[in-house]
Amino acid sequence: MNHAIKDIEDSFNKLPMAIYFAWGDTVARYRRSILGPLWLVLGTVIGTLGLGWLWGSLLKVDYATFFPSLTVGLVVWQLIASSIVEGSTAFIRSAILIRNVKTPYLIFPVQVLLRQLINFGHNLIVVVGVLIIFSSALSWVTLLFIPNLLLVLGNLLWMILLIGLLGARFRDMEQLIAAVMPILFFLSPVIYRPDQLGIKSAFIWLNPFSHMISLLRFPLQGSVPPTFVYVVMVSMLIVGWLISLWFLNRKYGRIAFWV
Amino acid sequence: MAYVNFNHVTVKYPIYNAKSMSLRNQLVRIGTGGRLSKETTDIINITALDDVSFELKKGDAIGLVGHNGAGKTTLLRTIAGIYTPESGNITSQGRVSTIIELGAGMDHELSGYENIFRMGMLLGATRSEMDSKMDEIAEFAELGDFLAVPVRTYSSGMLMRLMFAVGTSIEPEILLIDEMFSTGDANFQEKAHARMEALINAAEIFVFASHSPELIQRHCNRIFTLKHGKIIETNPF
Repeated sequence: MNHAIKDIEDSFNKLPMAIYFAWGDTVARYRRSILGPLWLVLGTVIGTLGLGWLWGSLLKVDYATFFPSLTVGLVVWQLIASSIVEGSTAFIRSAILIRNVKTPYLIFPVQVLLRQLINFGHNLIVVVGVLIIFSSALSWVTLLFIPNLLLVLGNLLWMILLIGLLGARFRDMEQLIAAVMPILFFLSPVIYRPDQLGIKSAFIWLNPFSHMISLLRFPLQGSVPPTFVYVVMVSMLIVGWLISLWFLNRKYGRIAFWV
Repeated sequence: MAYVNFNHVTVKYPIYNAKSMSLRNQLVRIGTGGRLSKETTDIINITALDDVSFELKKGDAIGLVGHNGAGKTTLLRTIAGIYTPESGNITSQGRVSTIIELGAGMDHELSGYENIFRMGMLLGATRSEMDSKMDEIAEFAELGDFLAVPVRTYSSGMLMRLMFAVGTSIEPEILLIDEMFSTGDANFQEKAHARMEALINAAEIFVFASHSPELIQRHCNRIFTLKHGKIIETNPF
């Protein structure tokens, strides 16, 4: 694990750079648009209103509980989906950089995650707005959101690393991810809640993203997530990191040739 | 003190074609027990450096010569630690600065100023260090108000000015430069050469790949000729 451990150390030292880069990427993306990053907020508002109205009428549910649940679901889903989709090009995107400057590799997944976190921060405005409008039951339990978010981010980071490495070696990865994500959207409890599925809800829990969404949705709706969600997420964190660091370590010398 | 040691270093450069890059062919290969390997995975391995040993120490200025594809850039990247050798080992110490490919590490939507921070941080400087060097870099690059506009509007000569100004401003101990002086006007080339001389005189390690005998003569005190992955050292005088 020598290479991987050294990489973590070097990446940690370069964290200020990753933050600067992620911020720069976001600024660059919205530089010539009038609304700038507000487009993120607007996009989420439009999405929530549209989907909320459509699914609300289709499922004939109570808007006061459905809207907050859907908003949180959509915002968290966006964090997960864009992390995974952008993760597949985490290293390819920086190919010129990797081939020219000696940089620790973990910095690139960190950059992807930070970019998504910046977007997530913007989207949280919508979540807060919706929670206020529907005067949801906020309590001290809501503070669980912060440690839970860290647990989700920790899991997303190893996923981005692993998918990014595979994506650098196999260029089909990007297409594969793009093809799989839409169906995973419906297999994740974004629009519905797992308990609404009754007996079939067991299948939903096979999807790791279901756990991530629940971990963040429960506290925002004033309740503690089920214990098994924590068990799954913590185990996933440990096993996932071990696998992806093992892979990084094994292929360390090849990455510069792959990109 | 900066040094670079190559001990029987072999670098194999794998070239992945579209087929070997595809997941489907890897799956087919597993599915067929690897018997179709010849058709499904064509990873061509090119031996770019073949059992190379040398030692660079303080004050060395190496001129790398060799025809196109001889492995000059691969050698520079291996010295920088970007490429890992297949066998042999490399020990080195010193702050490395690389000027290999035009536009590396730049975001073309961001301004020249922002890119100076980016590149400086990539090369290991902190933000405040870059802040204090900003005036000097801006003056050396002579880009004036262009530093405030996005880098995508720059010509290749201007990109080179910016890269060179940043790459040399962080006071590297090991400076690796690939042939890129064809861009940039005569005036800037003269300035760049003066600065390179200053760096070399500050007794750092300098490796310079070039096709121009005059430039090699001017800046280098050792000459490495690359041929079929082997290095032959010739006397510069």
